[in-house]
Amino acid sequence: MKYDVCIVGSGAGGSPIAYELSNAGYNVVVLEKGKNYTESDFSKDELAVSRREKFTPLLKDEKHIIYDREKDGSVKRYDGAEYSWSFWNGSMVGGSSNLMSGYFHRMKPDDFRLLSTYGKIEGANVVDWAISYEELEPYYEKVERVVGVSGVVAKHKFAQARSTPTFPFPALEVNVVTEWFDASCKELGFESIQTPRAVLPKSALGRNGCSYSNFCGSYGCATGAKGSARAALLQKCSAKIITEAFVYRLESDSSKITKVHYYDKDLKSQTIEAKIFVLSAQAIESSRLLLNSKNKFFPQGMANSSGEVGKNLIFSAGGSGQGRFEFENLSQKQQEGLMQPGLFFNRSLQDWYDYEEDSKRYKGGTIDFLFEHANVISRATREFYNEDGEIIWGEELKQKIHKSLTTSRVLTFEVFNDWLPTDECFVSIEEQSKDKFGVSVGAINLSGHPQDLEVGRYLAKKAVKVLEEMGAKDVSMSISASPPPNLVAGGCRFGDDAKKSVLDKNCKVHDLENLYVTDASFMPTGGSVPYTWTIYANSFRVADVIKKCLARS
Amino acid sequence: MSGQVVFGAVSTRETLNVVQADLFPFAEELHVNLSAYFTIILQHSRVSDSDKKFLRNGVQWLNEEASAMYEKLYTKLTLNERQSVLKNIAQESWGESWIETVLTYTMEAILSDKIYGVNQQEQAHKWLAFDMGLPRPTKALL
Repeated sequence: MKYDVCIVGSGAGGSPIAYELSNAGYNVVVLEKGKNYTESDFSKDELAVSRREKFTPLLKDEKHIIYDREKDGSVKRYDGAEYSWSFWNGSMVGGSSNLMSGYFHRMKPDDFRLLSTYGKIEGANVVDWAISYEELEPYYEKVERVVGVSGVVAKHKFAQARSTPTFPFPALEVNVVTEWFDASCKELGFESIQTPRAVLPKSALGRNGCSYSNFCGSYGCATGAKGSARAALLQKCSAKIITEAFVYRLESDSSKITKVHYYDKDLKSQTIEAKIFVLSAQAIESSRLLLNSKNKFFPQGMANSSGEVGKNLIFSAGGSGQGRFEFENLSQKQQEGLMQPGLFFNRSLQDWYDYEEDSKRYKGGTIDFLFEHANVISRATREFYNEDGEIIWGEELKQKIHKSLTTSRVLTFEVFNDWLPTDECFVSIEEQSKDKFGVSVGAINLSGHPQDLEVGRYLAKKAVKVLEEMGAKDVSMSISASPPPNLVAGGCRFGDDAKKSVLDKNCKVHDLENLYVTDASFMPTGGSVPYTWTIYANSFRVADVIKKCLARS
Repeated sequence: MSGQVVFGAVSTRETLNVVQADLFPFAEELHVNLSAYFTIILQHSRVSDSDKKFLRNGVQWLNEEASAMYEKLYTKLTLNERQSVLKNIAQESWGESWIETVLTYTMEAILSDKIYGVNQQEQAHKWLAFDMGLPRPTKALL
């Protein structure tokens, strides 16, 4: 049979298309490489989820080759399997949105016009987006209603315009330590923002409310409160989902994709035909599939007449930091409040989304604050070294673990700023290395721009000030050029010029009439916020375009 | 000299049992079956072959160090001698990494869900006043 729409990948980029098109009466099929899980499968088993990485492929079966560019320009090759360097997130229905923390910030108007606002940056391929914030705003609002975003709309100097005055769902409950945070920010003249979350505080949208399990990020949600693509969209539509289906090649004529080829769970090759195809396999894998789908019409790879497929891969730049609150400095009541499990922190700072230093204007970013993850094994393993950096064991280790975990709590922060796109950061194909399917693996070529680190450090120092003002001890920060594997975008940037971009403004590939790419690949720059909300919003926008296209046909 | 030849008869698990007890003796008070957990790790589908090999090689290298210092296998040494060997290897890059690895698996065992069968009493959770996340697993991932 021939479907109306075939979607490759069921995460945040693919699911809004499946939801919108199937609910509009179209015949939609989704091909997902991973398995399907339901709420009842999402236990809080740290060993399985966080240490044995249950939801990602084994690296010996599926890996990447990583080329890391050093400061001196030399490039070192890493075999992902040998170095346990994984860029996989969540291989399952709903993708990594199942495992996200759901810190939801919209991009800001200047994020859509980075080149126009801040000018050229040497060594970086900065461009304006093909659409404006105003064009995406209705879809940000749609995500709030359909996926579910909770919180309080904050008024602050970088707050963006909204078409509605409030979030549709009230804020989650927070720990009393947020009061210390707010007071410290006030003292410093900073504007504390309540972080919006893609988590329902109460039952709504046919899903249960949050259970405050204390294990949100990195874990699947057992109540359905988290707005994963699976819980919020795929379970609310009739799209057919084929699991354990690894798409290895797109087939085309000169103007259209004609079918996709995939291996089923028995490693048998199958095909799907459709009128329209949507690729949303995660930024790295989408570029890999296009580059692996060369044919006589597209000898450089599918949709790659521009030579831009895989180029300008970006991540979220920044880093993290932390401070420790110790009982000895707190009253009994404060100690009890500090250790209250389950309640969220949900505080952010965006005071320096745009800032000036040494008479130069910089695009800054976002700082999210959150308690150290509850994973107890991980917390215990962080106590293996003494103050002199020596590994300890025996009674000394026992005492240190007990003291740290029972008489203190760590507040952490995460910095999000632009990872500037460069010529040296891209996806290519490692022809000689094959995965378990016999398909050439993706090569991830990594390089960061020096400004990424400068901005990250500037922001992290502000976060450190807050922690110190709050009275935290052992305050530290770490800003590096290491790419966060769960915050990856680019590789198929959209734009109006078919010679310099892969996709048009509607995320349809320039080269073909019926192929769209709707994961984070389309993003030419990433903004200074986590990507998921923007991926969802853009995918809803593209769904409207495809609906019109199908209606015409 | 090949450790494999000299110490070919050394049981990885026997040595690991002693090392674990030397590195974190409190585990015994917690009634955790560390030996059984290391059996799980050495057979686990999602522990890489290189990680398993490092655990085994570390046993060989530990015994080489014990032999160099005291001309005996690690398991034949007194407690004080074993601690000296551990302090010596902790100065080496491989030794520090190996001790960290053994300690990491020890923490996994003492803080694992009882579904894994080695931590039936879950006493370390009580020791650390830690509330396990809900829902609990109903099937071990092996």
